[in-house]
Amino acid sequence: MTTKPSLRIGSHLLPGLAAVALFVVMAAAVLRASFGDPQMFGPDAEITASIGYAMFNLDMGTVPGEGMLVAFIIIAVALDAALDGAILLAKREEDGSAVALLADGGRQVRDRFRGDAADTDRDAEDGGDR
Amino acid sequence: MVPVQWYLLLATAVFCIGLFGILTRRNALLFLMSVELMLNAANINLVAFSAYWGNVTGQTFSLFTMALAAAEVAVGIGIILVLYRNFNDVDVTLAKEMRW
Repeated sequence: MTTKPSLRIGSHLLPGLAAVALFVVMAAAVLRASFGDPQMFGPDAEITASIGYAMFNLDMGTVPGEGMLVAFIIIAVALDAALDGAILLAKREEDGSAVALLADGGRQVRDRFRGDAADTDRDAEDGGDR
Repeated sequence: MVPVQWYLLLATAVFCIGLFGILTRRNALLFLMSVELMLNAANINLVAFSAYWGNVTGQTFSLFTMALAAAEVAVGIGIILVLYRNFNDVDVTLAKEMRW
């Protein structure tokens, strides 16, 4: 059963107050701070092109910016790893391989090799690993 | 021109809404959405200061943050899928132990 997005004053009061208090503190700090004179982008600044150049360490943009080629590569690897991880987690294999061990908590593999239905029943009764 | 403080105030509000969601929600999907709100609050700050200082570093970095958020969502949804498969529910308070 999923939870409904209803606001329960009793249990949600303390977290709500904490979030509001944090907002008040941060808002007070932000509104009191001074950041110097704004510089903004010029009228003929090519912002999108400059972002593209900054991404590949090319010093050709009209707007200043740091080169971020290393960050680009690291994010590419992280995205690749995340994609692999998501597929690994979502995959369901029938033969009880290592993927199933990860995806269903190992129940399929345990039942297959030990055949202990009683243990599974015990898990269902006392909560077990659930 | 909108003063940069208003952008920061907006980012603060979005961050605190995300924090409130994390503290109160038990549904894993809403949990994930709250984390995204907090991440996007940081993005608002990056873009606001990028425009303020006339420098594209903040905007470029916010693009990377969005890519990182996409990676996080991919893994997060995979974890939610496993949570549902094991517990027939997406309540984050059900998964209390690391063992199976």
